[in-house]
Amino acid sequence: MARGLRLSSELIAGVLVGAVIGWGFDRLLSTSPFGLIVFFLLGFVAGVVNVVRSAGVAPDRTGR
Amino acid sequence: MIDPIEQFTIQKIFTIGHIGNQEIAFTNSSAYMFGTVALISLLMIGGVAGKQLVPGRIQSMAELSYEFVANMIRSNVGREGMKFFPFVFSIFMLLAVSNLIGIIPYTFTIASHIIVTAALALLVFLTVLIYGFYKNGLKFFKLFVPSGIPIVILPLVVAIEVISFLSRPVSHSVRLFANMLAGHITLKVFASFVTMLGAFGLVGWFGAILPLALVIALTALELLVAFLQAYVFAILTCIYINDAIHPGH
Repeated sequence: MARGLRLSSELIAGVLVGAVIGWGFDRLLSTSPFGLIVFFLLGFVAGVVNVVRSAGVAPDRTGR
Repeated sequence: MIDPIEQFTIQKIFTIGHIGNQEIAFTNSSAYMFGTVALISLLMIGGVAGKQLVPGRIQSMAELSYEFVANMIRSNVGREGMKFFPFVFSIFMLLAVSNLIGIIPYTFTIASHIIVTAALALLVFLTVLIYGFYKNGLKFFKLFVPSGIPIVILPLVVAIEVISFLSRPVSHSVRLFANMLAGHITLKVFASFVTMLGAFGLVGWFGAILPLALVIALTALELLVAFLQAYVFAILTCIYINDAIHPGH
């Protein structure tokens, strides 16, 4: 359960942060809905990168 | 049915003062935090009071916890990371001791509230950010630019790396909080099965053996999770501090 929660929290964190950035971007620059679309997808990619890194499949940025 | 969420309620013990219209209260959560710090202080001060060459029980516990965190920092950050030893040690001991206190029935687990874990994760995040810029200046941005990436896809990779960096405090705090919350709710639900089956009389008491055995097993598992999550939180703190000291490896 610990491992499952760890990996899922990584993915959710990436998507959540991407969505929040996109929403704020739209709010500030009134580009709705394109900022949300772009940053949501980027956040999804970042979440997957986080999961792959913390699962130890891909080498970490620090090469560990 | 026993309410499995009831164990997480915050109760006001007394009011300290007001900021605007917001009441600042001393709650059961604060009381447990003070209790945890008092217990750690007792352990560490009691551990170094004797200073014997052959350590006694308390002294060897204090020495073991010191060595454990010191080795964690040395292997993850290196020798220059030892200036962050007090920081990492405080976080690790606070979480480990408070999680272990939370296993005792009728107690309160301070890490089961996301505001507590989020404050700790943000503390780590801001420490990394401020110290990273203080130590490396603008070279800290090399953290977001992996080497050997073609210039065409570089902006995309940098954007992903930035979001990945910003998502750290979120996953850092949610992981600890979710583990403690889920574990304690599971324990409570299975424990309530025992009393619910007991209401059916003799047959029910025989049936209740199964959830009782499960509760005992889950308590052992929770003991492991309590320590493991404090360890994971501390080791991730070390990894993030390593990024602040050596960006762009």
